[in-house]
Amino acid sequence: MSAEEIAIVAFAQTPAVREYPDSEASMLMDLTNQLLRETGLARSEVGFTIAGSCDYLSGLPFAFVMNVDGFGAWPPVYESHVEMDGAWALFEAWVRLQMGDVDVALVAGSGKSSPGNPREIFPLQTNPYYAAPLGLDPVSVAGIQARALLDAGRARERDFAEVVARSRRDGMANPNAQVAKDVSVDALLKEPYFAAPLRRHDLPPISDGAAAVLVARGDRARQLAKRPVWIRGIDHRIESSHLGLRDLTDSPSSRLAAEKLHIHDGPIDVAELCVRFSPEEIVLREALGLRPSTRINPSGGPLCGHPVMATGLVRVVEVARRIRDGEARRGLAHAASGPALQQNLLCLLEGGA
Amino acid sequence: MSELAPASYTLEYPYTRTTGPVVGRFLTALRDGQILGVRCRGRVLCPPLEFDPETGATLLPEFVPVGPGGRVVAWTWIAEPTRKHPFQTPFAFALVLLDGADTPLVHAVQAASIDEMSTGMRVRAQWRPERRQAITDVYFVPEAKAREQRLEPGKGEVEMTEHLISLSYTEPLSPHRQRYAKGLLEGRFVGQKSPASGKVYLPSKGYDPIERVRMTEKDDVVVANVGTVVAYTVITPVQYYGQKETEPYIRASILLDGSDQPLGQQDIHDLPIAEFRAGMRLRALFRPAGERDVTEIDNRWGGTGSVIERWEPTGEADVPYEKIAEHNW
Repeated sequence: MSAEEIAIVAFAQTPAVREYPDSEASMLMDLTNQLLRETGLARSEVGFTIAGSCDYLSGLPFAFVMNVDGFGAWPPVYESHVEMDGAWALFEAWVRLQMGDVDVALVAGSGKSSPGNPREIFPLQTNPYYAAPLGLDPVSVAGIQARALLDAGRARERDFAEVVARSRRDGMANPNAQVAKDVSVDALLKEPYFAAPLRRHDLPPISDGAAAVLVARGDRARQLAKRPVWIRGIDHRIESSHLGLRDLTDSPSSRLAAEKLHIHDGPIDVAELCVRFSPEEIVLREALGLRPSTRINPSGGPLCGHPVMATGLVRVVEVARRIRDGEARRGLAHAASGPALQQNLLCLLEGGA
Repeated sequence: MSELAPASYTLEYPYTRTTGPVVGRFLTALRDGQILGVRCRGRVLCPPLEFDPETGATLLPEFVPVGPGGRVVAWTWIAEPTRKHPFQTPFAFALVLLDGADTPLVHAVQAASIDEMSTGMRVRAQWRPERRQAITDVYFVPEAKAREQRLEPGKGEVEMTEHLISLSYTEPLSPHRQRYAKGLLEGRFVGQKSPASGKVYLPSKGYDPIERVRMTEKDDVVVANVGTVVAYTVITPVQYYGQKETEPYIRASILLDGSDQPLGQQDIHDLPIAEFRAGMRLRALFRPAGERDVTEIDNRWGGTGSVIERWEPTGEADVPYEKIAEHNW
């Protein structure tokens, strides 16, 4: 069975900001209205809505239910939610559209990290007996991963700083970036350690933000967009929740997803990678086999803005925008979840009729 | 009027989890001073798993003592610990390959400074004075600093673990919620009237969720302090963690006159349960101005904080069901 052709017909994102002064639902409402306006669709023509968010981040059981307001609570349609980044919501929407009874789906991811403390919240996604009671947080695991890369001779601290310097410089051209500046590698290497061998700048900022995309099937997509961006493949894979069972210098789950999508059957002009900690870019570049001709994170990536639960979907938006605008023909978006790239999603996008 | 203070609150869940035959044995032995691995096709996994991580096949619970010494295979120095970390002063998280094990355990190493840490260094487990039947009963130190410890074994098998999750949140009240809360302090209910549909929302979330339009201060409206019970339930308090109630009470949704959205979560303790009913007319009696408190109001649930003294029956005839059916559920 071959998959139905599905395309992104419109996309939107909020800027990443340190503290957004209203609700996630209000951000989603602005994005929803923008997408409907751009495509001329009525709300009733969207047959499926799905959001990715995290109740622990919002600090409220069933917080995700309130986010439905953002899509417009009426008329009722098929509705779903993932306690995952919006990129996984896109995956579910892609699967849902394969069924054939729905033509258009609205996908979003949103998160406000500002009210809580992400370093205290995210240990809760680790093993509840062996890791969560230690408060093992993503920053600490990223520090262990960075050390493993150094000890294996796979990277130097300078390589981490180079990722940061390039990303933050690229972020200066991104109106949605929260943190962006031109800073030299040498200056970065003079900063003190935070989770050695990581320095604060190797970490993403704490952000609030949201992203949304409208996806549609084949001919409907051609009606709705002058330049639809086709999802040529989408795949996600996971690794063990036990750190001791993983090779932290590699990302076998990303590599497997890349193989399934045959990403190297053509040139990849742009790749937006969910690099939340600078060493992750080194791991991903190698696991995905990206060549020097591929432009990596021209938006600056998550090191310039990390609206948790939307960060992965923002990667999709950034690639889709470059394809729609003719800057790239074929591109790869990557999303990640869990500590040290435990779970990875790849979405291969392409322009053309 | 000045800005209200940011809303602060704590979210807590006291998780209790059964341990099962493998984690339970591990935590029991750990409490009693021994670290166990489990055999898996010629390898020893520590921490022990119930399944073969490569095939998913159930493992025979064949336990092997490992450690208490081991070698650091990767580590990071935590300059600024979180409240949830095992130490509140700088320490290392490390992958520790215990003697006799083939997979490393992630755990904390207490060292004097980052200069004491290196990949390949020897470390040794130390037990906490007070053991809680959890992975945090131990920690590691550089081997040269390890002390001999004599441990009294605990009683029975560890069949449950307790893990209190406690998270703190602080967030400024959004502008519309500020005005709602300030209204309550003044003894008034301030809602918002949708410019698209004319429907009045109380408390407003700052938008009309049906028409998908944002609302602003110019859409604020004051609604009456008299309304109709449109739905209610009688709650018999279960004494779960954090429960403050002891006696059965009424939780009602009240549609105030002039509003299209019932005010939910109104707890009523002083009206006879047997006489309470949907359709009943009630009036909100506010506390004296100096005794009204809105610190419990946040951006999430609306609530009315501690501003309402009680809901008093007005004595008017009940509103027939047909008129409130839309709000009755």
